[in-house]
Amino acid sequence: MLRLLDLYWTYVKISMASFGGMSMVPLLNAEMVSHGWMTEAEVGDIVAIAEMTPGPLSLNCASFVGIRVAGIWGSLFANLGVLTPSLTIAFLVAFFYERFKKSKVLGNAMYGVRPAALGMIIATMITLSMDNYIAAGALYLPSVIIAAVSLVLLLFAKLSIPLTILASALLGILLCR
Amino acid sequence: MGEQKQEAVLAENRKQKRKLAFELFLYFFRIGWYTFGGGWSIIAQIQRDYVDKKHYVTNEVLLDLTSVGKSLPGVMVGNVTLLFGYHVAGVPGALMSLLGMSLPPILILTLVTYLYTWFRDNVYVARALRGVRAAVVPIIFSATLKLYPAALHDWFTYVILGAGVALLLFTDINAILIIVGAAVIGLLVSYLRRGKGGADAQAS
Repeated sequence: MLRLLDLYWTYVKISMASFGGMSMVPLLNAEMVSHGWMTEAEVGDIVAIAEMTPGPLSLNCASFVGIRVAGIWGSLFANLGVLTPSLTIAFLVAFFYERFKKSKVLGNAMYGVRPAALGMIIATMITLSMDNYIAAGALYLPSVIIAAVSLVLLLFAKLSIPLTILASALLGILLCR
Repeated sequence: MGEQKQEAVLAENRKQKRKLAFELFLYFFRIGWYTFGGGWSIIAQIQRDYVDKKHYVTNEVLLDLTSVGKSLPGVMVGNVTLLFGYHVAGVPGALMSLLGMSLPPILILTLVTYLYTWFRDNVYVARALRGVRAAVVPIIFSATLKLYPAALHDWFTYVILGAGVALLLFTDINAILIIVGAAVIGLLVSYLRRGKGGADAQAS
């Protein structure tokens, strides 16, 4: 039980201190190693696997570490820890956003925030492109072809997102060596 | 235009929160299986299904929820899902959406953990996932095409967009500071414009 609470609290701390994606890795590494839950090499493996599998990185790490440390219950407590900021802070903000969304002040603030949010999405696309289309310093052609095909499927063939993902997985098996 | 339609839909929705919360749970449980790219593809999926098809939210609101969700601590998609669920169907909607989004990755990782070495060393799995990663940017891009009219109204919004992209790519400034800064600038610009007697900023 103590171990489960420890898992929960460790992941609350990691999640509270992380603002998305890889920024949590150093803290995750420090916490896992200091608890003796895993070695640095294992943390590296987990991050790679969590990046590959669907779902947010932190939830994936929590499941993996939780199961290894304390089985299914460990996974539940670790995941609950990761979701705690959403369940507390984001909940409060949701409440206030809905209350004040009609207010002029919030509207004016959002006039500045919306383009910044779009900027955030564009910056993410650029970072992801660097990771996904460039391998060993050169353009990785199979990935570029898959991206072009996906874009055509999405925009012109109006294929749904799940079907596009399926198609890209099949193309990956065929093209990526 | 979309505004009124959305208000009507939301009013109807409030009457049947429970049913809606269940619908949201099923929806997020369904799309939770293929959220790649740190969960950004979920936003593209919400844009398609709930802005374009069902009109539960507008593009403006989706951008608001994304920026707020990203600025808060914790999992970005978790925050966005919760904010979206709350917007559509109150507290039950928020909880059911978050639960629906979280279960698939937890189930997948449970399986992967037990098959760890097989999964890590399987060539076909690696190739398929590499292919999927290549599709993530086009998926986000297709949503961005729909989202940008909600954010870009005049030259000033383009300046904020450009500054935001540059700051995020080339500096270590935290996303929350950029969002707060953009909010302050938005307030200032709207205030100055009103002072000059010009048209009110596009507050919606």
